[in-house]
Amino acid sequence: MKITVSINIGGYSFNIDEDAYSELKIYLKNLELHFAQEESSSEILSDIESRLAEIFRGKLTAYKQVITFEDVRQAISVMGTPEDILDTEGPSAREKFSSPGYHRMYRDPDNRIIGGVCSGMGAYWDIDPVIIRILFVVLTATAGIGGLIYLILYIVVPVARTTTQKIEMKGDPVNIHNIKESVKKEFKTVRRNMKL
Amino acid sequence: MDLENTKAQMRKGILEYCILSVISRNSCYASDIIKELKEVKVIVVEGTLYPILTRQKNAGLLSYRWEESQQGPPRKYYELTSEGRNFLVELDMSWQELVESVSQIRTR
Repeated sequence: MKITVSINIGGYSFNIDEDAYSELKIYLKNLELHFAQEESSSEILSDIESRLAEIFRGKLTAYKQVITFEDVRQAISVMGTPEDILDTEGPSAREKFSSPGYHRMYRDPDNRIIGGVCSGMGAYWDIDPVIIRILFVVLTATAGIGGLIYLILYIVVPVARTTTQKIEMKGDPVNIHNIKESVKKEFKTVRRNMKL
Repeated sequence: MDLENTKAQMRKGILEYCILSVISRNSCYASDIIKELKEVKVIVVEGTLYPILTRQKNAGLLSYRWEESQQGPPRKYYELTSEGRNFLVELDMSWQELVESVSQIRTR
């Protein structure tokens, strides 16, 4: 026996299993985020909800009066997740609604040898951190001052912890697309490290 | 270069044109359009269609009317406006040019 939730979608009332409801709620939220930058997002979402109501109505029979998790899954595969949706509008539309590339220097904790100072500087100027490291070594070897400069930078330059900071470190605009890409990359890195 | 990305770009390029072509023949709603596209092996999810249809409507290329439906909520049936027909004619010509150019390059 399960608990059901009563929902209104597209103007129709459905009884839906609790787990199906959660799945549907997350899906609709993702769609909302995906279309947030569109001019007529509420109209698009309303059209999609109406279509979902149509799909769900088709699943009910005299013997089946509740929308199940499987029904929701199937409906989502028909409508498509934000990843499935082909975006035919150019990238200019996407970048219109993001904050301009706020570019500042951070220490890069993901690509560090010691403290991430050199990789952070490399990310800021878009040059290979190896070049900067060589510079530091040369400075230390000749003038002895490389180590001191490194230490000062290590203390003064903050470390990039959040996804937003990591995007800002490279100077890319902080918008939904870049955040999604960044999170995907970080997820892959964590997976790779865990396999070791 | 990413093969999948390049293929996707090609599909994206023709999609709006295909949608207008389908609607030009008879007024239809989103699900009908998906079915027709599927028949000619252009496979997209329904979610791709709705923003495009809305954009084309906002641009004055399409108009819609509501129709009651047995299956559930009322449906939007889209058709081309006169502006939409002119737009389609332009796209037809553009498509012809592209096909010719590409054919010539391929058979050189």
